[in-house]
Amino acid sequence: MSTAESFPELPLFDLQLQPQDLEAVAETLRSGWLTLGPRTAAFEEAFAAQLGARHALAVSSCTAALHLAYLAAGVGPGDEVVVPSFTFTATAAAALYCGGTPVFAEIVSRERPSLDPEDVERRITPRTKAVCVVHYAGYAAAADRLKELCDARGIALIEDVAHAPSARLAGRKLGTWGLAGAFSFFSNKVLSVGEGGLLCTDDDDVAAFVRSRRSHAMTSGTWDRHSGRTDTYDVVGLGFNYRLDEPRAALLLSRLQRLEAEIERRRELTRRYRELLQQVDGIIVPFDDDEVPDSSCYVIPIMIEEDGRQAEVSSRLRERGIQTSIFYPSIHLFSAYRKRFPDVSLPITELASRTELTLPFYPHMTCEDQDRVVTALAEAVK
Amino acid sequence: MTAWRVPLTDVEVTEDDVQAVLACLESGWLTMGPRTQAFEQALAEFVATPHAVTVSSGTAALHLAHLAAGIGPGDEVIVPAFTFVASATAARYCGAEPVLCDVRGAHDFNIDPEDAAARITPRTRAIVAVHFCGYPADVLALRKLCDERGLVLIEDCAQAIGAHLHGDSDRQVGTVGELGAFSFFSKKQLCVGEGGMVSTASQELAERVRLLRSHALTSSTWDRHRGHDPAYDVVDVGFNYRLDEPRAALGLSRIARLRASIDARRATVRAYRERLHGLDGLELIFDEQAVERSSHFAFPVLLRDRGARDRFREQLKASGVQTTWYPALHSFSEYGGLTPGGRATNLPRALEVAERHCALPLSATMSEDEVDVVVAAVSDALAA
Repeated sequence: MSTAESFPELPLFDLQLQPQDLEAVAETLRSGWLTLGPRTAAFEEAFAAQLGARHALAVSSCTAALHLAYLAAGVGPGDEVVVPSFTFTATAAAALYCGGTPVFAEIVSRERPSLDPEDVERRITPRTKAVCVVHYAGYAAAADRLKELCDARGIALIEDVAHAPSARLAGRKLGTWGLAGAFSFFSNKVLSVGEGGLLCTDDDDVAAFVRSRRSHAMTSGTWDRHSGRTDTYDVVGLGFNYRLDEPRAALLLSRLQRLEAEIERRRELTRRYRELLQQVDGIIVPFDDDEVPDSSCYVIPIMIEEDGRQAEVSSRLRERGIQTSIFYPSIHLFSAYRKRFPDVSLPITELASRTELTLPFYPHMTCEDQDRVVTALAEAVK
Repeated sequence: MTAWRVPLTDVEVTEDDVQAVLACLESGWLTMGPRTQAFEQALAEFVATPHAVTVSSGTAALHLAHLAAGIGPGDEVIVPAFTFVASATAARYCGAEPVLCDVRGAHDFNIDPEDAAARITPRTRAIVAVHFCGYPADVLALRKLCDERGLVLIEDCAQAIGAHLHGDSDRQVGTVGELGAFSFFSKKQLCVGEGGMVSTASQELAERVRLLRSHALTSSTWDRHRGHDPAYDVVDVGFNYRLDEPRAALGLSRIARLRASIDARRATVRAYRERLHGLDGLELIFDEQAVERSSHFAFPVLLRDRGARDRFREQLKASGVQTTWYPALHSFSEYGGLTPGGRATNLPRALEVAERHCALPLSATMSEDEVDVVVAAVSDALAA
């Protein structure tokens, strides 16, 4: 097979499900009840309890959770949402779905590629309705400072927690600092199910709004009618089909039991990876070692110190069977955003995007695999 | 919680279906990949459409169909008033305005092409033909109308996969409009939980839908996993409307039984019709030809008026028989609501069928005993 069309020996991520996960899905399928029902409710309750949030609402994706979070924050036509550009495109696209404008802010540095509160502050205008902070790679951004900043101005803080389930800042779980947190259960995530997401909030009104809008703003659901609770329904707003279904909820509930243990394993592997990587010349290993215990350790990002070598290093690693990815290209430089926002310039973000590589990482990765990745990286960067 | 003697619908998941999903989960690859491709191919063959693109729901399918058709702010889209709300919200997601039109009547409750024609303005860009409850709308007439007036025809096939056309029984729904939108929601003939699909004969429209369902990224996770370059561009405002592999695996397993399921539903409908025919106070909807062509998502019947319908449903509920009904869109608060004590005058037939109909239990696995229970309950309710 040519290198252009082959499965990597060491993939970026790899998922291994347990027999009890499969059994939970099989049991749900055999029940014949597939839409939003008791399993979704049980998963939401368990997730909320583990997070320490008042409400958890399962949705179809993190993109859907962000869309509903921005709507709940009141984002509409003409409003601005301050977001990082060093993130997946959904963080910004969700603002466009609401008719709003994403305003891109800088990250702190390549050593700390998290949203910079000082730059956020400079970009707040009278039209700013929300700030969305991304906890990149599972490491806490300055949600505490951003919360102060937002509270002082009556702006909503939304957390994009796609990378960071069960991660913490100052003892408090990420996702619970702002008005709402948006989680992802996409297939390469820490808690993955295929496609799925969740919105958490302590605000009863936000929860009621999200519950309504995720299912077409109908005043009752199929399960309510099946269980005889209600008979008909009204439609009270512009809603969506952002529902999760029961097989996915069952898989999530089963996997949630092992989440802490899996994250603990990720932390051990991350510590070892970091030790090895810190000995490689010519790369930056973002974040500090002492942040690992609070991180969900989603991915292993590195930055090549020298600019202009990303494609070459990535291609050399690919030749050795090692898959890498770029987390993330700058959103403001994508053609869809360039067209809409031609004047955005974010030098630190752009440099990070041009020099970042994400290395293979999954809980069952072996020490030999890690050694192989780091050795190949050292040779490729040299 | 009510324990229904006969629930409105029942989903049978076979052991083959379960094993197909488990094999997918064991593979560890859960995002759009080989199973999604195989499911799309099977769907294209089943519907006899050149392109089938799976998405996360019927609503997502409608949204992307509208976007691919170029619907945008300021445009109007004509939508029948007797349908599920998603038929109208899709236009609103695009910044366009749904313009409600009437249906033919209580005995053929699909979109009335004449009323649709009367509502065309210079801003009209598309007509949504809903094949409601599985009964095909007159899309050949609508096709002619759209061609004459330069409009796009979008078929809402959410309830009608496998239905054959009114006027051309060799063709299926979803192949006449520029785009068709299907649903695999858990009550549907082909269900996976949440899911949907867009059908189209146009390569260009299919590519547009494919692009927009995954954030307008120029490469997918699967492409990158197979060794493609890790760099990608975002070329438009796209969405996360992807289906995942376990659901594709389930759909692929179930589609093998779909034609037989539809036939089983039709046989039950025929049994119902034979036994309910002539009962005082109850009217059947559609004719035998329509029954032959329909893929039978639901089995609605008509009562005399709203009061009779509501009493009928209460009595069936007391007998353990679950029923439902679809409100007309213009009766929802979000769509204006009905003035207290008054009636919407410009969509009278949609309102009439909404108020008079009641859908009885229907699934592919309904037994003769269950039909007996429902028929007996219906007779009792009418006699009461």
